[in-house]
Order: sequence, then C-alpha cells, then structure tokens
Amino acid sequence: MPTSFYQQIFLIILASLLLGGCSVAPWERGNLAKPQMELDPHPTQTLFRGHAYGSREAATGSSVGAGGGCGCY
Amino acid sequence: MDVAVIKKNKKKSVAYGRDSALKALTTAAMVLPGMISSAHAADSEVTIQYGHYEEAKRDIYAPSANEVSAPGVFGLEYETGKVPNNFHPITVDSIHIQAKTSFFDRLKFTGNYTEDTWSGATPVATAPAGFGGNTPITTDGVVTGASPYLSSLDDPGVFFDSNLNPVIMKKSVLDISAFPPEEIKEFEAGSQLVHTMAMASPETRKQGDFNLSYEWDIYAVDIGGGISIENDYESRFVNWGGRLDLNNKLTSLNFSQSYTNSTTSALLDHDALPYLATVGYSDKIKNRDSKVNDLAESTLVGEREDWATSLSITQVLNKSALLEAGVGYTHSSGFMENPYKAVYVFFEDPDQPSGLTNGTAAYRTVAYIEERPDIREQWNFKLRYIQHISPLDAALNVKYNFFHDDWGINAHTFEGNWVQPLGRGWSVTPTIRYYSQNKADFYTPYLVSKNKAVVSDKDNLENYNNIPQENFSSDHRLSGYGALSGGVVISKQFAKGLSLEFGFEYYTHEGALKLGGDGEGGYADFSSYSVNGALKVDIGSVGRSIAYSEHAGHNMHHGTPAPAGVMSAHMLDTAGDWMIGYRYMYGRQAGDMLQGNNKINDGAIQASDSNCGGSHCYVAPDEMTMHMHMFNIMYAPTDWLNLMLMPTFIDMSMGMRSLAGEPELGIRDPDYPEVSHAGHEHMTGGLGDTNISALFKLYADQEHHLHLGIGVSAPTGDVDIELRDTHGVELGLIHYGMQLGSGTWDFTPNITYTGNSDKWSWGAQLSGIVRLESQNESGYRLGDKFQSTAWGSYNLLNWLSMSVRGVYTSQGALHGEYNDIHSPIGPMDSPESYGGEYYDLGFGVNAMVPTGDLAGNSLSVEWIQPMEDDVNGFQLEREGTLSVNWGYAF
Repeated sequence: MPTSFYQQIFLIILASLLLGGCSVAPWERGNLAKPQMELDPHPTQTLFRGHAYGSREAATGSSVGAGGGCGCY
Repeated sequence: MDVAVIKKNKKKSVAYGRDSALKALTTAAMVLPGMISSAHAADSEVTIQYGHYEEAKRDIYAPSANEVSAPGVFGLEYETGKVPNNFHPITVDSIHIQAKTSFFDRLKFTGNYTEDTWSGATPVATAPAGFGGNTPITTDGVVTGASPYLSSLDDPGVFFDSNLNPVIMKKSVLDISAFPPEEIKEFEAGSQLVHTMAMASPETRKQGDFNLSYEWDIYAVDIGGGISIENDYESRFVNWGGRLDLNNKLTSLNFSQSYTNSTTSALLDHDALPYLATVGYSDKIKNRDSKVNDLAESTLVGEREDWATSLSITQVLNKSALLEAGVGYTHSSGFMENPYKAVYVFFEDPDQPSGLTNGTAAYRTVAYIEERPDIREQWNFKLRYIQHISPLDAALNVKYNFFHDDWGINAHTFEGNWVQPLGRGWSVTPTIRYYSQNKADFYTPYLVSKNKAVVSDKDNLENYNNIPQENFSSDHRLSGYGALSGGVVISKQFAKGLSLEFGFEYYTHEGALKLGGDGEGGYADFSSYSVNGALKVDIGSVGRSIAYSEHAGHNMHHGTPAPAGVMSAHMLDTAGDWMIGYRYMYGRQAGDMLQGNNKINDGAIQASDSNCGGSHCYVAPDEMTMHMHMFNIMYAPTDWLNLMLMPTFIDMSMGMRSLAGEPELGIRDPDYPEVSHAGHEHMTGGLGDTNISALFKLYADQEHHLHLGIGVSAPTGDVDIELRDTHGVELGLIHYGMQLGSGTWDFTPNITYTGNSDKWSWGAQLSGIVRLESQNESGYRLGDKFQSTAWGSYNLLNWLSMSVRGVYTSQGALHGEYNDIHSPIGPMDSPESYGGEYYDLGFGVNAMVPTGDLAGNSLSVEWIQPMEDDVNGFQLEREGTLSVNWGYAF
C-alpha cells in the first residue's frame, strides 16, 4: 500500500490519465495525427542539440542507446 | 525508441486515395501515441546533416607586475586584470548520415553514421588569479596573450589568509629610506578565480550505430547497437526495448534498456606531464608503445560500464492533447574521470618568506589529475505535455525533467517548443530551454591544505595523503550553474519527398543563472551557438513511381553508372528531375618516401634544409589517411542544363617517424619542442570546399552523350588550422596538406563523353582545377590540376556491371608559403613537395536498381590502384583510393 505522498500523487495522476483517455474515439484523433503533434517533432535537431548538452551538462538524461563519446573537453 | 509506420494505414490511404476526408479519418483512427512519432516518417529515408558548434572565448585574468616608482623604494607592484585570450575557442564540426528502410513492411532498419571533429582551448584546472595559471605573454612590453601554467612544487607564490581565503600580493618592496631598510609586503583579498586554459589540436570521433525493430498490431520490439571511436575513448553499446499499446491504443507503454562499455586510454599531455601529479593513478597509467612510433607514451587507461533502463507511458488525454511521463535509472561504474582535468592543491610552504603579516601564508602547488567516485547512480523523471492550438493549427510541446544522482547533483530542465506550420510545406519552431544544476559534493575549484608541503617530487605520497578530500574535480560540468538557451528550427517540405531543415541555437552557461542562486563565479561563464542544416529524402514512395514511368526507357544510356571515382559523369535529362548523391572517398599514403619516381633513403631528404621548408629535417610522414564525404544535390531545370551543389566534409590524419639519426619522437626534449610534438598523430577535420557547377548537354542520342561542366569551388574549408603550442613554443599552422580546403576560389571545368552499345558502355573525361586567386588567406595557393580518364564497362546482369579505368593526373606544386607562424619539421612542410604526375588504374563494380521498391538507387564502388608516381620534391608513396558512390534520382 502506498504510503508516501509522492506515490499517492503518482497513482492519482496515473488513474486520471487512464480514465480521462478513454473518451477519445478513433475518429476524433485528427489533430493528434498531425506532424506537429509528434512527441518529438524534430528528432534530427534533438539528437544534434542533445549531443552538445550531453558534453556540457552533468545530467546526461536517461537516454537509452548511449554512444556519444567521451566529450572530454 | 524507433517505431514504424503502420502498414495498414498506408494501404488504406492508397485504397481510398480519392476520398481525402476518409483518408484523413483512417489515418487518425490508426494513430496511437506510441506510433505518433513515426506516423509521418517515411518508410525509406536518407538524412544528411551538417552541424557547427562554437563557443565564445572565455575571460582570463592574470597578475602583471610593474616597477614601483617612488624615491628610495625598490620593488614591484602587482595588478590583476583581464588579459587578452589568444586561445581559439572550442569548435565542433559534425556530420550525421542516417538511412532508414523497411523489409516485409514490419521489419524496420535504421543505420546512423556520425563524425565530429573538435579543437580549441579548454579549461584544465582552476586557481585564484594570483596564482597565474595563464602566464602572460608579452610582446614589446604589451601583454598579447597567455600561456597555460601548471606549476611545480618548487615554486611558492600563492597566498592565503588565516581563513584560507585567497589573497593576492599587491606590493613587494624594499624601502631604503627607512633605517634599517624595511621589507614591505602588502596583500588584498583576491577571490577572483581563473581557469588555466590549454589548447588541443584537432581530434575526430566516429560513431556507427543501428536499430532494428519489428511490429505487430499492438506491440513492437527493437534491438540496436553501435560503436563510437576516438583516439582516447572507445565506447560500444547495445540496446533493446519494446512497446505495448493498451486501452484502445490511447495508452502506450515503452520500455528500453542499454548497456555501454567504454575504455579511456588518454595519452597524457607530455607538455603537462612533468608538472601533473599522477600518483593517484599509479595502477592505471601504462607506458605503452605509441601508435605512430616505437617509443613509450604515458597513457591513463580506465574502463567504464553503464546500464540504463527507462520506462515511459504515453497517454492521449483528449482529442487535442497528450501526455508522456517517464522514469529512467542509470547505474555507472568504473573510470568516470575526465583524464584531462586537474585540481590544484595548495600546501602550506614550510619555508615562509619574510615580511608576511596577519596570518597570511605562502603556499606551494601540486596539480593532481581529478578523482571521482567509481560508482554513480542516476535517476531521471520526465513529464511532457503536448497541446494542439486549434486557431493556429500549432502545437505547444513542453517538457520538464528532474535529474538526481548520488554525487549530490540535482538538475531541472524545462523545455518549450512551439511548432507552427505555415502552409506550403513550411514550418517554424521557436525553442526555449532552461537548465539548472547544483554542484557535485566533491566539486571544488581548488583545494587548500593546512599541511606543510613536502618539497619533493610532485608524486610524493605524503602530500597526496594530505589532500583534504578523497574525491575532487574542478570540471565546470560538475559545478553549480544554470544555462539558458533559445533557438529556432525551420523546415520546408518540397515536392517529391525532399525536405530541408535548418536549426540555430544560442546557449549561455552562467553561475548566476542557477536556480536559488549560489552558483559558480562568473569566471566560469561561457556562451556558445550551434547551427545545422539537414537534407531528408524519402526514397520510398514517390521516387519509385517516377523511376518506373519516366526514367526507364527514357534514360537508356544511364543504364550503367560511371565508375565511382568519376565526378560529374551523368546528367539528368528530364526537366524537373532531382538527384541526390553521397560519395565517400578514402585515400591512404604509406610506404616509401619518393623523390620523382624513385624510392629514396633518409639521407637524400636530410641533404638540404630546403627540403623541409627551410628548417632542419627531423621527420618524414610514414602514414597519411584521408576520409572525404561529398554530398551532391542535382537539379534539372531543363533537359539540357543541370545545376549541382556539392558540399564536402573531410578528415585527415598523419603519423610521422624520425629520420635516421634525428631525435626520437614523443620524448619531451626542450631542444626540439616542435619535434617532440611529432610523436602524436596529427589530425584535422571539418567542412571542406563547396563546389557549385552547371552541366550543359552538348550532344545526345541513343548511343552517345557529350556534356560540358562549368563550376567553381568556394573556399569553405579552413586553411588556418594550427597545432597546439608545445613546451611554450608556438607551433603555428599545421602541415599544408592537412588544411581542409584550397582557400582560394577555383575554376573547375570538365567535359565528359559517354557511350553504350548492348552490354558494353564506355566513357572519357577531361577535367581541371584552376586557382583563381594568387594566394589564400594563409599566404599560399595549391597548384593547378589536370586530369584525364577513360573507362570501359560490361553489364554482367541488367543491374550489375564491372568497369576498368585508366587515370592520368598532373598537379603543380604549392605556390607561396605560410604567412604566419609555422614550424617546419619535415618534407611535408615544404611547398615544393606537393603535386606531381600520377598514373592509376581503377577497378569498379556498379549496381543500379531498375525497378521495384528501391528503383532509382545506384551504388558504385571503385578501387584506384596507383601504377606510377612522379612526385614533386619528396613525398610519401600512395597506396590507393577507394570511392563509393550512392545516388538516387527522383
């Protein structure tokens, strides 16, 4: 049983997401299908900028699939 | 994670193609969160991207001394101020090539190749400005710059007060007007810190990776891996993951995991090594044989492993909003240090100078290679929200990420994008990002020990044991700071599946931007900008139909591609057609040194200093490698004219050996500083020259084709690349042949004839390069070049042919010489030792896909074998050239 405040908040958010999402019928997803609504609308840019951030910042992100080199400069 | 287009979606779209409303509805119905990112990506797509990153110069401070001008008083007064920074800032040039394709509709493959070359000055350590980490360089009494200074234990000269706060000497004088003469030392608070900066010669990193995914109706799995290689760091990684769609495809769960194994083998700066304490790494430093000669080098070797796991959920909230939430955990272990960063530790001087008062004491310095913990546990929590803004048909994409690790770092990242489609295929996306982190527990700009210095060698164990903390790093990445950046992405979708994307971002890193204040001082601030351009071509759907209906039959004489090494050999002869191409060239020189066409011994080179640019001859190249990437965009506005743009990206490396009887390479020898440096492989890389040309059809029938090319080459490649300073000697400009461009505007005419009959085809080409300027910005110009070639090829199959080709090339020597500092050490530094006459034989295989899914693609490979070299001056023998040419017409 969740005890911490954060765990409770998380479960509440999760539950409301799952319930809230049920209302969108397939024919109502026109906007969601547009290219500007993609999770990452510019993956090429994300990769390029991410490489610069990764070699300059301590929080490298939990990007799975790694690579990117030492960045030892 | 890469997931793929929904196959059914596509088929339905085609089936109901005439009814656009129904088509849109079908697309919408099939969309689900996990697949949104791929719903618009092409099945088969090639992306070529070039990017440039550049930092602004950093502020550096140093004390300067002036004679005291007062009667009866002798001594010096000190003043700390900003000094000119003559270091080139960090720049990175990168290319990224991505190819995606699908097999059996459900199996998707993505391959990536990335290459980046960086150079410039980087901080190695931090100290109070009074320490003088950057010794001012004075020319004619004026401070013109600074050179890095790491100090040795023998030099006292940095002062702290009784609370261990840095103080700086203001005055040190002897007053002889008093009796007895009085020694006066005055101090003031000197909290200004400064980085000790050091230059690095250019270095190149290459990475290749792939991803393979397979789709079912409501789930998908993927697997990938890759390798990243640079001189001092090698990293291999594998990853796998999966996706599950739930809740009528409104919810999507993603899981991914990766394992990375990396090896550092950092060649320690032989310039710094005499001053850098390596005692903490006695078990990790290996003396190994150098790659380029037989001598020992000190290398710091470490292994590292990273396990990363991430879980995320994407949820459709309503018909115009969705949310993504995720958590990631990374466990890292092993060698996580940056081997080029040091921390100054100041130990109290056992032998205090006279005249100090108020608890002020002098300290001695040792610079230790940084030491970080061997374990790092990292957590990431992300939340992303995307809202469709109906009145503008735009999307607002906001993201927050919280990072926490057991090194004491908490970081917050806020990102916001506004994706605004503008119609006619245009889209503009302003982006803003704010990042803030607090410092790692063990971060410290420098350390002060109350223990007395043992004035012994730098690696003295007692001093090492007296370092006040177990782990220490002055790497600004681990300091407390904030970073604010803003940028824009502009993209344009053209007809025929071609799209261009341009991105710009300005980034500023400041201690004062840290959330809640208390960030690092302003001395560590820097800013940077990045620009990049990407070309994407959908090589799937549109190209196929065009290739079928128009190219086949019409372009019969194109049935056989020309050998891969021949440029401008083909014309598009249907107005409105496009072609994109990528050509890779690998060239290697190794073997004997030649004079004319004869092998020579070292004595012949050493016979005269003029053979080595007027300097004594110390070395000869023993290996030189070039990789060139050429991107080619061609368009036919009419059937008799083609316009062509060809940017290039180059990287080169050169190894050297000592000439007989000369000092050994790689050993620090103050008498031969420029030669000590030659123990390293010299590398350069980045954007090369860009060719712009037009091809005119002169004659064409079913069998014969003749066209003329008129072009210019724009000097976009650098010709002012320098080697880093070594042992206080400014080496200046690198060897002529390792500059990336010609530096001049060049005229590049050519004329090409091709013919074919049945299974045979043949061709011939004359081409030239004429320099249009007498010298480039560095004071020289390359010699003009003339080439003639003829080939024949035979079609073994309707898609495969083989070719044989003869090539004759003549190139003049280099004219003029460097107009800036340059330290010649071998024949490659002599302008006379460039150019010559060359005879080659090429053997090629050419494949072209006439029909089917990949129609319009062609791939050619050619090996060019040198038959005879007749070189100007003294040059290294050529081993051969490999050309690979891919083209896609649509």
